[in-house]
Amino acid sequence: MLEEPKEPKRNFESLPGAKALYSVVDYVAGWSRKYSIWPIHLVTGCCGPEFMQTSGSEYDMERLGVLPFASVRQCDCIMVVGVVSRKMAIRVKYLYEQMGEPKYVVAVGACPTGKGPFYDSYAAVAIDEYVPVDVYIPGCPPRPEGIISGMMLLQEKIRNEKRIGVKE
Amino acid sequence: MTDPIIKPDVMRISWGPQHPMSGQTRILLDVDGEKVHRIIADLGFTHRGIEKILENRTFFQGIIPIERMVMADTANIGLSYVTAIEKALGIEVPERANWIRSLMCEMARINSHLYAFGLQAESTGYFPAVFLWTTTDRTILLDLFEELTGARWSYNFFMPGGVHKDLPEGFQAKVVKGVEYLRRRFEDYWVAMVENAVFEVRCDGLAVLKPEDAIRLGATGPVLRGSGIPMDVRKDEPYAAYADLDFDVITEPACDVMARTKVRYREIGESLKIMEQVANEIPGGEIATKTSPFVRPKQPAEVMSRVETARGEIGIHMFTEAAPNPYRVKINSPTLRNMYVFERMAELSEILMADIPVVINSIDPWYLDSDR
Amino acid sequence: MSEEAILAQIMEAHSDKIESAKVLQPRCLSVVAKMDGLVEVAESLKTRFGFTMPVACGGVDYLNDQRIQMIYYAHNPEQKIMLTYRVNLPRDGPKMPTLTMVWGAMDFHEREAHEMFGIEFEGHTNMIPFLLPPDWRGGHPLRKDFKGEGATQ
Repeated sequence: MLEEPKEPKRNFESLPGAKALYSVVDYVAGWSRKYSIWPIHLVTGCCGPEFMQTSGSEYDMERLGVLPFASVRQCDCIMVVGVVSRKMAIRVKYLYEQMGEPKYVVAVGACPTGKGPFYDSYAAVAIDEYVPVDVYIPGCPPRPEGIISGMMLLQEKIRNEKRIGVKE
Repeated sequence: MTDPIIKPDVMRISWGPQHPMSGQTRILLDVDGEKVHRIIADLGFTHRGIEKILENRTFFQGIIPIERMVMADTANIGLSYVTAIEKALGIEVPERANWIRSLMCEMARINSHLYAFGLQAESTGYFPAVFLWTTTDRTILLDLFEELTGARWSYNFFMPGGVHKDLPEGFQAKVVKGVEYLRRRFEDYWVAMVENAVFEVRCDGLAVLKPEDAIRLGATGPVLRGSGIPMDVRKDEPYAAYADLDFDVITEPACDVMARTKVRYREIGESLKIMEQVANEIPGGEIATKTSPFVRPKQPAEVMSRVETARGEIGIHMFTEAAPNPYRVKINSPTLRNMYVFERMAELSEILMADIPVVINSIDPWYLDSDR
Repeated sequence: MSEEAILAQIMEAHSDKIESAKVLQPRCLSVVAKMDGLVEVAESLKTRFGFTMPVACGGVDYLNDQRIQMIYYAHNPEQKIMLTYRVNLPRDGPKMPTLTMVWGAMDFHEREAHEMFGIEFEGHTNMIPFLLPPDWRGGHPLRKDFKGEGATQ
């Protein structure tokens, strides 16, 4: 049975009007964070061209605020696009540890999810043995509409997060 | 291998798999100031073991993993594997199927060359405009592929004996319209990339590869033809319908980065010519010889099949025995041959560190192809 | 010149160092050499018979015959003929001299064959890991009795 997620405890929540103020703050913070997901520029496998078509002119992904960026310290998402071998999975783990909180991982394609058409390969791995994954996008390669819909799922998840003033 | 200080003046820089311009590989550069002394390529980041996987699949099932070797021109790679199976089992292919195969191979070749242009423009002057033009122009080809086969990039449309489906109604007219649109856009690429002052300053005279070095090091594809050597498998050992089609082998005498760009550019023109010929003159007839999916050869055989992909020549050496799976499939990939040429380029001419992305994108590597 | 004529010339020049030679298919020759004289025959095929362009090299594991056959592919650019130059090695401890002195581009491919089959190439100056991850736990993937034991996870 899945449990309902518990409401986190927050600072000053016993003051009058705190709940209404927190809900306004959560809404504004969630709205601004979900429209600026910056993934790191890391194409690991053959789904790369489809990812580039999605950032291109016809299915423009940048209108959702998704801008691939070069330095990992300034990004907040890793999009693992395509087949991951063990040599590359070690690097994905280093990059994940170097990103600042809050951080997300999106597995694009059938291969990082569960090795895809290379299910009996000795060299390919599934990426959720190395980093925790938030969204899985199936397909080989996934259609651009599929990649955009996966990013919108991630946006929903970010919008519902409550991070401001949470008691540790 | 990863120690940064080699000699007092030389520093080893690791240009790694996470970089906007490096692709899925790590290149180690020994630099002294700006001058590059030595290049070491550390491949293997996308190794999947395709040669071992193909031994555990039947002949029909093996078409799926092998097409994922190069996603940008899957038609050529799939054709090489299917041709090897047909030679091993002695299956004849009808004429109409050969013409459809040539059409798809040329569309895939244009797709791949446009991708190479986009990357080359990005690495030279950071022209995202040209990169986005190429994504728009590729949508024409991807829409044609989707109408014919149902998938955009990896269609698995060839099977031993022919192709899966016939051309739909009105497809030939759409191909002709697409060719006219691409021809108009074609001229814009010449002005933006070849006649551009920034390109000329950065690319003229860079990384010269003389013809005797190109042969001695084993270059292939536009890298070889950009040094003036007219070798193309479509003319040397014609396969599919290329013996009946009219096209030229493009070579350039200048041997530098600009020559390779011009070779790719003019090859797109030749591919558009072939697409038009196929759309107008394709013969009628059957599209496949009926072959059972559980086909197995009667005695052991050994065949070699070679196909010209956009990056160079791929060779499949297949060993079969009386079993539904192949015994061994050896894949001679074009990018692995060209990466050896890239490693030796620092010794052949003087390259600065800032020129390395330009040089490597003129080789047009696709690392999933060299790592298999 | 036709393929049979070239084959006849090769057999005549090195009849004591070649086990067998035949035409595999149009424009493709197959020459199986003996272990001693391997490098000399390769050198003469390159300089005298014109197979100057290296393509690749790889191996085949014949478990029933207990041998590994190592195949070198080279191309003749003038006459457009492909050569497959082969040598048979024993399955326990296969060793052979490197052919990077003859065709320099075999460097990468011999490193891959070392990882995939376990063949020792004597005289190879650059034998560093190529395709497999650096913490590979042993085992040679393309041998027929490989059971997936090398991967760390």
